[in-house]
Amino acid sequence: MDLNRRRFLQFLGAGAVGGISTAVTPAEASSVENISDGYGVLVDTTECIGCRKCEFACNREHHLTDLPLERYEDTSVFETERWLQANAYTVVNRHPNPENAAKPTFVKSQCLHCLDPACASACLVGALQRQENGAVTYDAWKCMGCRYCMVACPFQVPAYEYGNALTPQVRKCTFCASRTAQEGGLPACVEMCPQNCLTYGKRSELLALAHEKIAGNPELYQDHVYGESEAGGTSWLYLAARPFTELKFQDIGPEPIPHLTETIQHSIFKFGALPLMLYGMLGAVMRIAKGGHGRHAETTAEEEVS
Amino acid sequence: MKYLIVIACVITASAFPSAAQEHPAAGAEVPACITCHVSENPTEQDAALKACPRPNAEAAPAHESSESPDFFILDKLSDIYVPVVFPHKLHASMTEMGIGCEQCHHNNPPGPILGCSACHETKPEQANLKQPALKGAYHRQCLGCHREWDHETDCVVCHAKREPGHPVALPADSTDIMGMLHPNIEEPDIKVYKAEDMEGTPFVSFHHREHVQLFGLKCTACHQRENCSSCHNSEQQALPREREDPHQDCVRCHTEQVNNDCTFCHAETERPGFNHEQRTGFVLSTFHEGVTCTQCHPQKGAFTGQKPECNACHAADWVPTKPIDHAVTGVALDETHAQLGCVDCHTGGIGTPAVCEACHDEKPDISKWSTNAAPVRVPAPETSAPVEEHKGTGAKRYD
Ligand code: SF4
Ligand code: SF4
Ligand code: SF4
Repeated sequence: MDLNRRRFLQFLGAGAVGGISTAVTPAEASSVENISDGYGVLVDTTECIGCRKCEFACNREHHLTDLPLERYEDTSVFETERWLQANAYTVVNRHPNPENAAKPTFVKSQCLHCLDPACASACLVGALQRQENGAVTYDAWKCMGCRYCMVACPFQVPAYEYGNALTPQVRKCTFCASRTAQEGGLPACVEMCPQNCLTYGKRSELLALAHEKIAGNPELYQDHVYGESEAGGTSWLYLAARPFTELKFQDIGPEPIPHLTETIQHSIFKFGALPLMLYGMLGAVMRIAKGGHGRHAETTAEEEVS
Repeated sequence: MKYLIVIACVITASAFPSAAQEHPAAGAEVPACITCHVSENPTEQDAALKACPRPNAEAAPAHESSESPDFFILDKLSDIYVPVVFPHKLHASMTEMGIGCEQCHHNNPPGPILGCSACHETKPEQANLKQPALKGAYHRQCLGCHREWDHETDCVVCHAKREPGHPVALPADSTDIMGMLHPNIEEPDIKVYKAEDMEGTPFVSFHHREHVQLFGLKCTACHQRENCSSCHNSEQQALPREREDPHQDCVRCHTEQVNNDCTFCHAETERPGFNHEQRTGFVLSTFHEGVTCTQCHPQKGAFTGQKPECNACHAADWVPTKPIDHAVTGVALDETHAQLGCVDCHTGGIGTPAVCEACHDEKPDISKWSTNAAPVRVPAPETSAPVEEHKGTGAKRYD
């Protein structure tokens, strides 16, 4: 599923660059430079112990599951990799540490709250929007259920309530917008983390802090703050002691994904026929390229044409 | 507000030249006042300086772990859980394997050793992005080691859930590391020591497993006031345990023997373990094999002799779960009688004589049932005075 979505995105990207990028000039797309300095969270994975209290806090805050606290001490969940779901806005995964088996690395995942969110750009009705404070929030009332955001997000974050037949919603981390709106309010996961490995603050200050930490302990930290530039920069930032690719972080360039998706989306309204042709072509290309395996991507492409 | 504080700081700095020497020079990057001052309005009389570590603090003064406080009750943050009882001295002694107090009390300025809360704020959480708040500081200190030492990150390792009326109790022995925290170790079967100065009888056979499994001793009965460094080096390898006096563990139970009877332990050769049949005449095999000593000899420390009759231990209405071998009583039952329950004949309960007339009109002659083998039994002691099981001559002990 991930693979399909990602490959589909690659097709989109290729199509956009090759086919119609000349139709819309990059200046029309939003630029990262003029984005206000919102808040973010610095995740120091070297301090994380995999206690899953953040998962508990998030699930409790958003009424996602009602498992009691003790159940989160079950470490058997780490045996398989888990990913975000409609009822899990954040999950912690364990990655074995080849240098010290007794000290595996734990990584908490959730929406990264991109500075220039692809999900929001892909959304035709503005249900997903980046707020001044950095949170990328979702408005179920506006959402029409097209799930473009799920395709667009380079981190495979938004999940969909497939099980909910009547009022399905796109679900993802809200950055606890209602909590942080209050003076001194912290996201539920940040407040709960016993290790304080989640630091909430102004993104610019967090970046400075991250670089200070790296400079203060260059033997420990990788000289890379994940999220500083990935996909145009994200509000959630990560520090790690091992290369991020080993921890299954996506290797994403600094180019904001919206520049690709937005180009296509905007073109739909400008030159309706062109993208339709493109999409039709894409469908055909994918059917040929993927043969029997491309069923999911194929339906996605067809849905978008219709 | 922030500017006001900064201005106030600068004014304070210039107004009090004595303090100004340490105070960041005007023009230099001035840290927030609360970095160094407890109060936002320090005065000349009361600079309200934090005893807190300042940047570039010298190394903490060296202290011996023996000077350290035994326990701390960490109750600043307890709401879900009861306060944590932190065995401080135990941990202090562990750091002797490493770099000493500084292992935890990082950046401690010269002078007294400061606790975590001297610098790490309780609230507001994340007021200072550069250092964790108190909750994070505590957890990082504990889990930084525990996650590697014992792989335990469960809350209940340190925290007991807060329940009504739950008292904060100090564990009986602060150094009971074997009993409290140590992961299970498989005890050695036997340890044979050689005491070179005991001519003729140098061997001491210590049946370790027997003491634990048969005599039911807890680890801490012998391993008292141990800390990590008594057995491990800093790479966690286990090393032979060192004792000041090799008798120190034995003497706690075998006081009299250690003082008066060297042959109780010291022998010419290695000695076999304890054998109940040889020592007491009561065969444990089949039915009583898995029974620990204290189940029949409940008196701790000094085992008293126990009568061999079933009712010495079993209640009068006890029903055997497996068919018993009645022959051990001196009377072998025939097939018919073996089918009956105990109380069918022993109408007064186990241990009372059989009443044949309960079924038979006349008392039959059961002498033919008598086994030639003497019943396996030891004469019951006349008095209830403790039989010192581990006392006596070598011949009696290990014949
Ligand atoms: S991580 Fe994905 S869902 Fe979150 S803001 Fe970025 S694009 Fe949107
Ligand atoms: S910020 Fe809020 S919604 Fe997002 S992972 Fe943390 S607790 Fe969950
Ligand atoms: S609560 Fe903190 S330490 Fe625990 S798993 Fe989450 S991020 Fe890691």
